[in-house]
Amino acid sequence: MNPYMTYPAKIKKIEKHTDIDYTFYIEKIFDVREGQFFQVSIPKHGEAPISISTFDDETIELTIRRVGIVTDEIFNKTVGDYIYLRGPYGNYFDVEKYFGRDLVIISGGTGLAPVKGVVKYFAENRDKVNSIKLISGFKSSKDILFRDDFKDWEDKIDCILTIDREEEDWDGHVGFVTDYAKNLDTSNLDNLRVIMVGPPPMMKFTGIELNKIGIEDENITVSFERKMSCGIGKCGHCRIDETYVCLEGPIFDYKQGKKLID
Amino acid sequence: MLDINTKKVMKNAYRITKRRGETALRVRTPGGEFPADIMPILTEIATQYGDGNLHITTRQGFEITGIKYEDMPIVNELVAPIIEKLQKHIGVKIDNPKDGYPAAGTRNISACIGNEICPYANYNTLEFAKKIEAAIYPHDLHFKVATTGCPNDCVKARMQDFGIIGMANVKYDQNYCVGCQACVKNCADRCTGALSMHKGKVIRNKELCVECGECVTRCPTQAWTRSSDKRFRLVIMGRTGKKDPRLAQEFATNIDMESIIKIIQNTYDFVEEYITPGKAKEHIGYIVDREGYHEFKKWALKDVKLPEETKIKPYMEW
Amino acid sequence: MGYKMGLKEFDKIFEILSQDYEIYGPKTIEKAGRFSDTNNIRYEKISSIEELEYKEKSLFSPKDVLFPVNETMFNIEGEKLKEIEEEDKKYLIFLRSCDLNAIDRLDNMFLKNGNIEDNYYKKKRQNTKFILMECIESYLNCFCVSMNTNKADNYSMGIKLANDEIYLEIKDKEFDDLFKGCEKENYTVKFIEENQHKVEVPNIEDIKLELFNDEMWEAYDRCIGCGRCNFSCPTCTCFTTTDIYYDENKTKGERRRTWASCHVDGFSDMAGGHSFRQNTGSRMRYKVMHKIYNYKKRFGENMCVGCGRCDDRCPEYISYAKCINLVTEKTREEA
Repeated sequence: MNPYMTYPAKIKKIEKHTDIDYTFYIEKIFDVREGQFFQVSIPKHGEAPISISTFDDETIELTIRRVGIVTDEIFNKTVGDYIYLRGPYGNYFDVEKYFGRDLVIISGGTGLAPVKGVVKYFAENRDKVNSIKLISGFKSSKDILFRDDFKDWEDKIDCILTIDREEEDWDGHVGFVTDYAKNLDTSNLDNLRVIMVGPPPMMKFTGIELNKIGIEDENITVSFERKMSCGIGKCGHCRIDETYVCLEGPIFDYKQGKKLID
Repeated sequence: MLDINTKKVMKNAYRITKRRGETALRVRTPGGEFPADIMPILTEIATQYGDGNLHITTRQGFEITGIKYEDMPIVNELVAPIIEKLQKHIGVKIDNPKDGYPAAGTRNISACIGNEICPYANYNTLEFAKKIEAAIYPHDLHFKVATTGCPNDCVKARMQDFGIIGMANVKYDQNYCVGCQACVKNCADRCTGALSMHKGKVIRNKELCVECGECVTRCPTQAWTRSSDKRFRLVIMGRTGKKDPRLAQEFATNIDMESIIKIIQNTYDFVEEYITPGKAKEHIGYIVDREGYHEFKKWALKDVKLPEETKIKPYMEW
Repeated sequence: MGYKMGLKEFDKIFEILSQDYEIYGPKTIEKAGRFSDTNNIRYEKISSIEELEYKEKSLFSPKDVLFPVNETMFNIEGEKLKEIEEEDKKYLIFLRSCDLNAIDRLDNMFLKNGNIEDNYYKKKRQNTKFILMECIESYLNCFCVSMNTNKADNYSMGIKLANDEIYLEIKDKEFDDLFKGCEKENYTVKFIEENQHKVEVPNIEDIKLELFNDEMWEAYDRCIGCGRCNFSCPTCTCFTTTDIYYDENKTKGERRRTWASCHVDGFSDMAGGHSFRQNTGSRMRYKVMHKIYNYKKRFGENMCVGCGRCDDRCPEYISYAKCINLVTEKTREEA
């Protein structure tokens, strides 16, 4: 068995969020869980780790930002074409962990994609959590992902969709996610659980704010993104200390994640 | 009653100085390298027969100053062991070292420190300088030759009649290349920007490449290597001086050591044929200018068996 | 069993072995070194015992055989990955004790980490046997004794060359018959018992998180990030995969993997712009701590085998061995 072999998955639909962020709806050729990732490739152009946004019985959604050779090629594909997958790799968000909890999901930019499955799960199963709040930040209104989903989620969960700076024609929230994180309701601290996903500096500073208001590291879950060439603990790129993000991650308890020094 | 033949003095590697009654001896140290044990001899001559000073010449020899003309015979006897060691020992034909240097027209062969020490040098410049010394000295014609290890040209080979610049003749094995770009970045930064990346591997633009070999020194996996056959860039007819100073121009690339030596030897024949009678110190460059590059080339390449890959400049614009 | 024979006699056996095995060993490549008129010594296929560089230490390690610098993983036709169809070859590798211990580190990474086997490595590894070269002397920068890698026992044959004679220790029954009729000699491989340099590895319990942020690493910002240490290391296994298509025929191409180095720019760069360890001092920390700490936490033994090639080759005269001793000192100060 060649663990590096890839398998074709047909593109069923493409949704454009921004000029450089599309969601590819593909055939579900593997069983997956929330927060896992695939090595996605276009043969002759390369392979890249892409996190699974969400999925149902037939379809997997991959939200991809156009940032390099491989993603350029993926963006050239249209409905009916194939992209090539191996995986899924890594651990996953265990939604059961949050049953009955007051769950806060904080995302920065495209960090919303890997956690979208969790948001969607609880939007559809609202009764399984005591409360749920989504704080989702983007650089500007142009960068916002999943606008349609937000409309749907806003009815079901407490959503704070914020952009970094004031803009004309924007009457929503403004400011960094850290500003909202520091004002979280901590009246029921023991029951509060946080998931945060985003760029490394965003996670670092959000973590600091969360600690300040009394949320312990063990009640915070993060998802890491690192360079990867294999996804199976061989290539070495994603290693942090003795931890391989592809094997033991990408989801980490922040108590552990905080101690991982790149 | 000091009565000397200045021409003989000068041919004996002594100088007619501005100080009445005093001369100076130029000690030839081909490649500028010599065993340290000649130093006591230089010290002895300088302190007992000279003014106590040594001057390092621009061509990497020594000049012992303040010698009285009448002491020349004894100084010649004292310098004989140096001539034995630095000339006779490497094959220079000198009948009687105790008569001092038999000629001074063909200057000391200068060299950069070369590949024994310098990481950039592509060959042993000192060894080559000594080979040239053995091939062309003693001779009265005014020839200046220098060997330099790489295109950095630290010895200023481009200011010589014959400048020999080492070429790395690099080879690239992409099976060993990790695509780290160390060579590409360095070439753009310090060399000629001849390298670029293509699909994770390196492409070399041979038009731009000067074969300095820095890619070989930078490559962490030794995907770049030098070829074991030594090849050179031969630049000619550079000069300083009052009339039309200029840098030497490329005469041959990818040329080998034997061919270079033969070309320099041939040039002596050319100069003897065309030198202005009575102007013994006429520089070769002016003679080549007068007789034309093509005539020079014809003489220089006579009976030279060039390696297949050698390229000779078809015409020259100085 | 032990034997003794002349080079010519051994070459006859070498020839027989060559029929079944591809035989690799350290080989001197004349004038192919970093500097003009210097040699390179790297692992290549050898066809006689004369080609084996027995006296000098190699610049590169035997990992090159099992984990080539560049390795094609798939041929690509259109968008289809085609498995490489290659007949199974058998390999015999001449190596020293440190490097034989390093094979065990490679096994851990390629065959055990994540409980997934790397098929490319496995295919070669399972058909490989080793000939241990006795070290007559400890070389400059060797510290195998400190790393307990001066000894090894999982080899098929042991060999010593002295005065144009070959001494052999045969441990693998497969090779017994080959030497029937050869002069018997009571020979077993002797191991180096002392190196010029001693390295003291810290206790992993003594390593505190603060050490990772210690200012000692700033001294290594003088590292130029060339990666020689990684590429010569017998235990470094990192690689990057790249796809290419052929310029001559754009419908065909290949997926290949190439050695990567945690010291070289771009190792942690993600598409999209984020990267880690911008300063080379932190790359030194990343490597050193992996070799003597992180790997040990994962696999129970030090990754480093003390071959000292990193110190042999560093153009900036950074001593990895000295760095380990510094780390150990630091852990003592803090304790």
